[in-house]
Amino acid sequence: MTFRTKLFWVFTLALLLSVSLIAAGVTIVARRAFDESNRQHTDALVAQFKDEFQRRGQDVVDRVQGIADAEGTVRMAIDLSRPKADVSVYVNDARGVSQSHQLDFLDFVATDGAIISSNEWPARFGYKMDWLTQTLDWAPVGSFLAKVDTQDGPALGLMAVSTVRVGDRDLYILGGERLGKEFLSSLALPSGMRALLYLDLQPDFDSTNLVDAAGPVSDGDQFGSFIKQERQQPLEQTFRIAWTPDPASAEAFHTLPLLGRQKELLGVLLIGSSQREVVKLEQRIRDLALAVLAMGLFFGLMLSWWGAARVTRPVEKLAAGAREVSEGNWSARVSVRGRSEIGQLAVAFNRMTTQLTEQREQLVQAERVAAWRELARRLAHELKNPLFPLQTTVENLRRAKDSSPDQFEDVFRESTGILLSEIENLKSIIGRFSDFAKMPQPELGPVNLNDVVRSVVKLFESQFGAVGRPPITPELHLEENLPIVQADATLLRRAIENLVLNAMDAMPAGGVLMLRTSHDEGGVELEISDTGSGLTPEECERLFTPYYTTKQHGTGLGLAIVQSVVSDHGGRISVESETGVGTSFHIRLPIKPPDRPVSAPARAETVPAEKAPATSEAPTGEGA
Amino acid sequence: MKLRLFLLVASISAALASAGRVQTSERPRYGGTVRVEIGAVIHSLDPVGTTSDLEEAAAKDEIGALLYDQRSADGAFLGVAGSGVFHIAQWESGKRLTLAANENYRGGRAFVDTVEIEMGRSVKERLLDLEVGTADCAEIPPEEARRAGEGGVRVSASEPEELVALRFASGHPIGEDAHAREALSRSIDRAAIVNFILQKEGEPAGGLLPQWSNGTAFLFPTANDVAGAKELWSQIPGSPRIVLGYDSRDSLEQAIAERIALNARDAGITLSAEAVPAGAAGPTEAGDVRLIRLRMKSARPRDALTGFIAALAPAAGLDPAPLPAAASAEQIYGRERDMVSSYRVVPVVWLPRVFGLSARLRDWKAPAAGEGWPLADVWLEQESQ
Repeated sequence: MTFRTKLFWVFTLALLLSVSLIAAGVTIVARRAFDESNRQHTDALVAQFKDEFQRRGQDVVDRVQGIADAEGTVRMAIDLSRPKADVSVYVNDARGVSQSHQLDFLDFVATDGAIISSNEWPARFGYKMDWLTQTLDWAPVGSFLAKVDTQDGPALGLMAVSTVRVGDRDLYILGGERLGKEFLSSLALPSGMRALLYLDLQPDFDSTNLVDAAGPVSDGDQFGSFIKQERQQPLEQTFRIAWTPDPASAEAFHTLPLLGRQKELLGVLLIGSSQREVVKLEQRIRDLALAVLAMGLFFGLMLSWWGAARVTRPVEKLAAGAREVSEGNWSARVSVRGRSEIGQLAVAFNRMTTQLTEQREQLVQAERVAAWRELARRLAHELKNPLFPLQTTVENLRRAKDSSPDQFEDVFRESTGILLSEIENLKSIIGRFSDFAKMPQPELGPVNLNDVVRSVVKLFESQFGAVGRPPITPELHLEENLPIVQADATLLRRAIENLVLNAMDAMPAGGVLMLRTSHDEGGVELEISDTGSGLTPEECERLFTPYYTTKQHGTGLGLAIVQSVVSDHGGRISVESETGVGTSFHIRLPIKPPDRPVSAPARAETVPAEKAPATSEAPTGEGA
Repeated sequence: MKLRLFLLVASISAALASAGRVQTSERPRYGGTVRVEIGAVIHSLDPVGTTSDLEEAAAKDEIGALLYDQRSADGAFLGVAGSGVFHIAQWESGKRLTLAANENYRGGRAFVDTVEIEMGRSVKERLLDLEVGTADCAEIPPEEARRAGEGGVRVSASEPEELVALRFASGHPIGEDAHAREALSRSIDRAAIVNFILQKEGEPAGGLLPQWSNGTAFLFPTANDVAGAKELWSQIPGSPRIVLGYDSRDSLEQAIAERIALNARDAGITLSAEAVPAGAAGPTEAGDVRLIRLRMKSARPRDALTGFIAALAPAAGLDPAPLPAAASAEQIYGRERDMVSSYRVVPVVWLPRVFGLSARLRDWKAPAAGEGWPLADVWLEQESQ
């Protein structure tokens, strides 16, 4: 993962996290606000219900008192106070009176508690309502909730009692309003809220007793557990019901227990508030957050990309510059503006490459001077050897002519012979230098490296065991399935000959010459090792430098030629050496050299070996 | 022998009581129009045609008695139109009928010239019209008799002649359970029904025939026995629920049914009173037990009981065989006792026919069982100028 990609993801995740946190925060705040709003609505509705309850109760009290004060009722009381009064006359009176006073429930009850007339259950005449006679004074009681028996079953009523006393006999008037859907429909409910009333009239929970303004509530069974809680402990409580898996269908309910005169639970008012708006708001916030997130993501993506690019571009330029430097282009420069750390780094980089270039040029110049000095020294050394005999021969000739004219002829012949020989020697020296200068371009063809190695070994076979010198034992470890490479067999042979000659020179006391071939996907490799005295690290470093030699009579061009051949084949050569152990040269050749002839010399490198062996490889791009 | 002697005495006392109700008039006057209001709506006076509406059929029967002399074997009036005491003067189907006195009636011309019969008048309208004097005669429910009297309406009640009873459906589990039938019968407080619902216009019924008819009604107990009913009901396995059906259009049946339901509850019997269509007869649509009203077709005990047998036997699973033509009082009583003791039919109360009359209508005699309106004998008092 690139630095830019990392930066991009960091920016993006930070943005995502920020938007998510904001959306979650807004959602939580909105939910709390809605919960508070719902609570206020519920409280208002509860207060409204209580007010309405009180108002209706007072209204019932007034109407029942109105019935008690009516002339007909008083006349009934007077009539019933007489001995052997016929109560059957009044059996149907409750119906008419209740209708005229708009009461759902009305009972005229005699002083002994026997029902004289009942509106809600006309057939109940003669039955006793003993609880009615147990309270001596009903006036302070006011309205109260009561379970009322009707012929259709028990009902919940908001009731009041008045009495008409004639002599020592009371006529009780029990009247009331049914508490049910009609009562609920009179409540003004805010949007999204509804009021339910559970009439706790049966021993067990019965969902049909749960009504709203429209009648029995469907799915009333869902309330069973909450109603049971109320029955166990009548307290205001809040609960939530999810009608469907859709969260918007959820409804929060607040309960208000309705108690009778004996504090018994007679009903439960449930004020429900739909969670639809809350869920919708949450959904809207979530949608908005998602939209913002998507937009933020889009812009953040672009911004992150731009920002990451802006931040990483100088770094990438620096990386590219460093890569160029690593590839040898020491003149690489990085153009980064600004005074930031990256800018300072770029300035430092440019300064570094400038200094490197200058130092390299200085080094090259120094090496060039050194090479010329070495060349001059070599030339001087090489030329001095033949020149000295030439000088002495010419001086002998002159001396012979002056001092021994008679022997001059013999001296002349001998001296001219020497002169010609030395001149020939000079020509030979000049020819070797000329050959190095005019290394031919390789003519590629299929070459089996093993065959080349074998032919070279065969060439030197007689010298390995020559009389008068310690024997050298060649060991060949040639891989049988070595692939054919495209190479110039002559040049390769010359390079291997040079290496073998070097190895033989390195083993004046004899030893083992090992030649090993191998291959991999990249090409073939040849290792030529000797068991000679080895080289020092300094010698390894300069081994491939032209005209550098560790031998007494070498030209210093052998390994330079080897490196040149390897280079022309697109390969590379390296050396490993350890003093007292021996030296190994590794030549690696591609199966097929690059199309364009390689002008640069082979990449020769020095490989550090265990036990700190001296290793070297020909420097890249440096002239031989 | 004791029972026979007792029955004889009872018959004589009933006959004397009946005779005592005959009103006598002095100086009858001819002329005038009697305004009669009925609740039924009659669509056709064709004596051959039938109708499924019992109220319409009864009203049609009453008018037929005024128009025709002869009846067929099944009780339908025959003969030529106008052979009765009145003939049709004007006919508006379903609304109004005007009868004119038949000058040639073999029994003598009626005192009044015409009889105007207004149809489809509700009980409330009839009572109101009687109170304000725009109607001379209208039949009113027994339970309204007291209120009508208090409103200044002259009230004429016949001897109890209509039986209100429970008829258990034959073949139904509850109907076939004798304990259940008896338990329900014992739970009913008949006196309360008479005193409160009927406003004392009627009699608790223990038997099928009223006391004035055969004189044996007192032999059938009418008092409720809640403890006995509980005991019987406790012997019934499970907790069966009884559905008591009543005519959805009949407020009196509804009131009685609801009271019976209340009485049954006191005895631990689960009974619900449910309104059913008037013509419903099957167990599923009429309930396990049906509250029915049966009017005596004749004042004669044998004929009346035979009529009851014919009406009750098929549905209640009773012996449908009619009484012999010359059945003795013992035979009638025995058959009545067999029917009642089976509890397949549970008598509840006896109802009289109650008529509201205007002050100017004179010589009205409440019709006996099987008799029609006595419009041939009434006359209208001259209204003071």
